Parts: sequence; C-alpha cells; structure tokens
Amino acid sequence: MNLGFVIGVIGVLILSHAGYSTIQYRGLLKITEEEFTGPPLNVVLELIVGLALSMWAALTFPGKFLSIHPDSDENRAVSLPDNSDFMIFNHRGRLFPPEITMKF
Amino acid sequence: MGSSEKRSKDVMSDIPTFSGENLQKNLKVIQNSRTFLSIIAGVLAGIIGFTGLTGFVFYFVVMLITSVGLMAKAGFSADLYFDSWNRVLFDGFLGGLMSFVLFWTFAYDLVHIF
Repeated sequence: MNLGFVIGVIGVLILSHAGYSTIQYRGLLKITEEEFTGPPLNVVLELIVGLALSMWAALTFPGKFLSIHPDSDENRAVSLPDNSDFMIFNHRGRLFPPEITMKF
Repeated sequence: MGSSEKRSKDVMSDIPTFSGENLQKNLKVIQNSRTFLSIIAGVLAGIIGFTGLTGFVFYFVVMLITSVGLMAKAGFSADLYFDSWNRVLFDGFLGGLMSFVLFWTFAYDLVHIF
C-alpha cells in the first residue's frame, strides 16, 4: 500500500508541475501575442508520465481483490478463536454420512 | 459483520455460492480506482485545454483504459473476484463523469483563465 501511495503522490506532483508550466507558457504567449493551440511538447510528455504513474497508483493503492469463492484458502469460514464457544457437535448432523473433508 | 454470508439453499449440492462481503470489498476497490482516475483525467483535460465534445471523448478513452487495467488486475478471470463481467467493466462510469467535469472546469479555469 505504501508504494502505491508514494507513486500516486509523485504522479499528482508531476501533473501540478505540468499545470504550472502551462500557466507560464500562456503568460509567454500573452507577451508575444500568439494563440494558444496546445501545451508545449515537454509539458505533454510530463502529462503522459504523470498519467501513467497515477494510473498505476490508482490500480494498486485501493487494495487487492479478494477471492469470493468460499472454499479458497483465504476464505476459511471457521476460525477457532472466534466462535469456539458457540460450536456444539452433539446435534442431529451426526446421523449424516461423513463425506465432508475438514481442513485443519 | 465478521462472517461471510453464503447464499445457498442446499450445502450438499453444487449451487454456486460466494462471499458477499468480499464481493462488496472488491466493488469498493473498483469504485475508488475509477473515482481517482476520473479526477486525474479531469485535471489533465483542463491543463491540455479541451473544450466541448473532445473532453468527453477523452474521458471515455481514460475510462476504457481503466477498464483494461482493472481486468488485468483481476487476472482476466472475473469469476474469481466478481459475479459477472459487467461489474468490472461498466460499474463506475457515470459516477466518475461528474467528478471529471468538476475537475475539468476547475483546472481549465486555473490554467487558462486566471
């Protein structure tokens, strides 16, 4: 999580630097009285780099995807310290044929 | 809300069940990613100076790239993390549009007008 956050911050900083460069460029254009057709080339490069970094950070920072299958290894429904007080085993289920394999 | 809810009528049969809590967490992850990228796309559109329809086209391009990125993050197998592909691809499109327009106008004003 930390690396994604740092890369996101760097991406935002690069974008704001690109914005500041564009503001200065527009000031320069006002002095020379030309039209603004687009930001200069180095600003475009900075924007692309900033966008790539932010995109990478946006995909990794919010967190991993968790599996939704109930029988994958990280989705154990039984965890001993949580509900061992409420588990009883002396119920009618003892009459079922034992075909469920338990994971320990 | 600590345990996972199983939606199954019969434990012994093979009706597909899934953990609702993990599904909601995954959807939240997608929503966060899309919102953040909508804001970034808005700032970018404002700095470059898009006006009118070009800006919206830019937003849809960024959202498509986001969808591809999310599919890659899920490993191209949505069955492991979601109940249908549509959630990965089309979930946060219109919600992000509002944020995009907000930051687009904000950045455009900052850079080009002020």
